[in-house]
Amino acid sequence: MPRSARYAVGRGIEYLSVLALALVINFVLPRALPGGPLKTLGGGENVGVLSTEDQQRILAEYGLDKSLGEQFLTYLANLLTLDLGKSFADGQPVLDVIVEALPWTMLLVGSSIVLTFLIGVTLGAFGGLRRKQGKGSGLLASALLFDSIPSFWLGMVLIAVFGAFLGLLPTFGVGEGWDDPAGLPRHLLLPVATLTLTGLGQFFLVTRSSMLAVLSSDHIEHARARGVPRARLVRKHALRTALLPVHTVLMIEVGFLVGGALVVETVFAYPGLGRVTFNAIQARDFPLMQATFLVLTVAVVVMNAVADATYALIDPRIRTGAAS
Amino acid sequence: MTTPDPSPDPPPSGTGLRQLLGPAGLVGAGIFSVLLIMALVGPLLVSNNGISPVADPWAEPRPGLWLGGDDVGKDLFAQLIVGTRASLFVGVAVALVVTAFAALIGGAAAVGPRWLNAVLMRLADVVLTLPTLPLLIVAAAFLGRGVGIRIALLAVLAWAGPARIIRAGVMSAWSSAHLEVARAMGANAWHLLVRHASYVVGPLLIPVFVRAAMGAVIADASLSFLGLGDPTVPSWGTSLFWASTNGAFLTDAWARWPLPPGLAITVTVIALGLIGVAVEERINPVLRKVR
Repeated sequence: MPRSARYAVGRGIEYLSVLALALVINFVLPRALPGGPLKTLGGGENVGVLSTEDQQRILAEYGLDKSLGEQFLTYLANLLTLDLGKSFADGQPVLDVIVEALPWTMLLVGSSIVLTFLIGVTLGAFGGLRRKQGKGSGLLASALLFDSIPSFWLGMVLIAVFGAFLGLLPTFGVGEGWDDPAGLPRHLLLPVATLTLTGLGQFFLVTRSSMLAVLSSDHIEHARARGVPRARLVRKHALRTALLPVHTVLMIEVGFLVGGALVVETVFAYPGLGRVTFNAIQARDFPLMQATFLVLTVAVVVMNAVADATYALIDPRIRTGAAS
Repeated sequence: MTTPDPSPDPPPSGTGLRQLLGPAGLVGAGIFSVLLIMALVGPLLVSNNGISPVADPWAEPRPGLWLGGDDVGKDLFAQLIVGTRASLFVGVAVALVVTAFAALIGGAAAVGPRWLNAVLMRLADVVLTLPTLPLLIVAAAFLGRGVGIRIALLAVLAWAGPARIIRAGVMSAWSSAHLEVARAMGANAWHLLVRHASYVVGPLLIPVFVRAAMGAVIADASLSFLGLGDPTVPSWGTSLFWASTNGAFLTDAWARWPLPPGLAITVTVIALGLIGVAVEERINPVLRKVR
């Protein structure tokens, strides 16, 4: 099998394992509790006061009186038909809640990841180039700072500054949403800035150290000796090679930003999955939380697969199947 | 050993803390020590535990009530001081467990049989791909809010990256020239590990520990901020949860309610980060080989 195909199959198996693990976790968690699934799937906190017959009736209603194997099969069958259960809070199908919220989260995460990548890599390359002149430590310090700030708190600070004090930007929600394409970016600005700022550090640090390593490598020395102009040297010879390890960060960052989005959305009352999760936690609405976890796992896997596909674009060795 | 080690990348000479940390690292270690002391003795210094109301709702700051009261009149300064313990404890405990896991799993993958390496590293990839926070939320919601469960959950989701680093470090040490020599002279694996490889891998444990602690402090605060904290123990994340639910950062109380706990988290993580970056810089030859 050619190298590229073997790589693709390997990644495919890995992604399927991730999904399988998420499914199993979702199935096991509600059933692993002392007191059994009755507490979380059935009647809430006051199970103790129910009579034995009532408990049996609820168990039967949710199919929890069957064997674990049967329960698992039913669970999978339901998932295949996109039946994610009903919300505890208002009985609305979980799928509807998710479908409504998911695009908002994807919009937030998507714009943040593009921005983090572009800004982080640019600054990182800059920092790497400047290292030789003993500069760029200010950048390093800021990267460390933004890496350390909890995203939700940074969001609060930005709201206080740009919303409450300066009155420049809206501080919550998305206004009219899709119906107001002109007002939407203003609403998105603060949440996206929050998420981008807290995600920058990783890209910056990895690009910087990768750039430093590449700049002292033989092929750069050779290109410099050939008289390749500096701009071309940096763009074509150094940055392109330096991007390889950054790509790995991109994949980890997707998961990080998805998690960050959950807390940042809460701060900004942004109508995505983070908001759904926050409300679900307050209402102890377990099916909603589980569905959010599952959907976000699928989203992360899909984004990783896309990132995988783009890897071949920057690393010709993957395309041609040459050994590294 | 009396003869100097002829390895191309000698470990940092001397074992002095100053030598290992450098100026920035010492600043980080200093700040972290202050925080540790605050976590240990802080609760003895404040007059109440920040759990029960002691003043009017939204009380203004006054002597003895330095940051005023929250929406039900709980002492915000006491919450800040007492909260140090919970936040740091989770960070340090998770980091200890993660470092031990990473050393065991990474070491086993590096020197164990090939199939073990394959199994462990595929497992690490899978854990790395799972979205951590959403999973933590679901698990914490189901399994409860006790600090032990919290630590176990955070550790189970955080070992994968560190294990990869340790594995690479051990493998790089295992194939270095002076270990080849020692092996050729008949040293067994245990001797190689304790007398030789440990000098290369040992320093790696510090950044691994520090990074795990940074991640745990922020993840723990995030969970508490989402309302999954332990309601009986004050923590910085829980203070921020209540500040956020009451919209305190839009009121005059912003500087005394949401600001201090957020700053405390940031300062803690920066202090750890300074230690980590400083040590990484010192052991750079090792790290460069690892990457």
